[in-house]
Amino acid sequence: MTSRSTTVLVGVAWLLAGLAIPVANAQQVSGPLKVVQLTGLAGVKDKAKGTLDVENGQLHFVHGKTSSDVNASSIQDVVTGADSQRAVGGTIGIMSMAAPYGGGRVLSLFRTKIDTLTVQYRDADGGLHGAIFTMPVGTAEMIKKELVAQGAHTTPPGELTPAATSSTSPKKEQK
Amino acid sequence: MKRILNAGIRLFLLTAVFVASPLFAQKNKPAKIKAAALQVEMIQSDEIKLPAEFQVALYENLIRQLEKQGFSHVYRDGDRNAASVADLVVFHSTVRGFKAGSERARQVTTVSGATSITVHCQFTSPDGTSLLEQDVNGKVRFFGGNLKATYDFAKKAAHVANENFSTPGRVQ
Repeated sequence: MTSRSTTVLVGVAWLLAGLAIPVANAQQVSGPLKVVQLTGLAGVKDKAKGTLDVENGQLHFVHGKTSSDVNASSIQDVVTGADSQRAVGGTIGIMSMAAPYGGGRVLSLFRTKIDTLTVQYRDADGGLHGAIFTMPVGTAEMIKKELVAQGAHTTPPGELTPAATSSTSPKKEQK
Repeated sequence: MKRILNAGIRLFLLTAVFVASPLFAQKNKPAKIKAAALQVEMIQSDEIKLPAEFQVALYENLIRQLEKQGFSHVYRDGDRNAASVADLVVFHSTVRGFKAGSERARQVTTVSGATSITVHCQFTSPDGTSLLEQDVNGKVRFFGGNLKATYDFAKKAAHVANENFSTPGRVQ
């Protein structure tokens, strides 16, 4: 009887720890985040790696010597999502496809989870732009909260707008 | 000798028919519609629930591909500068079909997991008169992430615009 209750207690403890750790990790985000800008920022190449930060009412992306700022108040919608990418990508990932006995395909099974952050903003002329970033798991929601706190607009969950039809709650895609 | 001459004439006629048919087809093509500039509206997806990153990637890729096709004046959704342009053509896109697919399934099986998007493209004048309507799809079958389907769509849609609209002083 004692051993059973101990097992249950240990199980509950593990469950709580499992729930608490991702939250703790997410709250540890401070300073610039390492992200990949998939597309959309003016003057920045697609799939550019860099750092993303929210400060002084600006979404600040730095890639090498180039930097790009988006005013938080010009942001019309911020949407977070969940995605995954190949653990072994790039040139090695492509070369692995030629591995014998389907070895490359086995590598494709290993994937790492990532967050996506999609922002829609207007420039000085009123033109609509969109930018997509990928970042470590648990960080997109923090960036979104910071942006909203600094004046960015977002669509309430479940509400559809003519320009942005997706909800703001994190979505999970099977990739 | 006569047989060789006959065969030669027949061969010549056959070749002439094959060569001439594309030329006639080109002559029958409708004239391109004059467009001083294009304005791309944000992709709409009222019926289909489309992830935000797909919607934005469709829009951004479309603008980029139209610029690559030589349209020197491509205005974004809501750009105030477009209001004063004569012969403006507005590009509306509505998502009609979306299959998310799976990059993992594509890489493991090769034959399954394709991502596809079908978008209804409508070109109108600023007052809303329809100039051209066509369904364009984007697919990724083998290599690449799911968002690559948006690039495929953008290339095809820009090609449709290129085929049907002419811009003065356009870089071909």
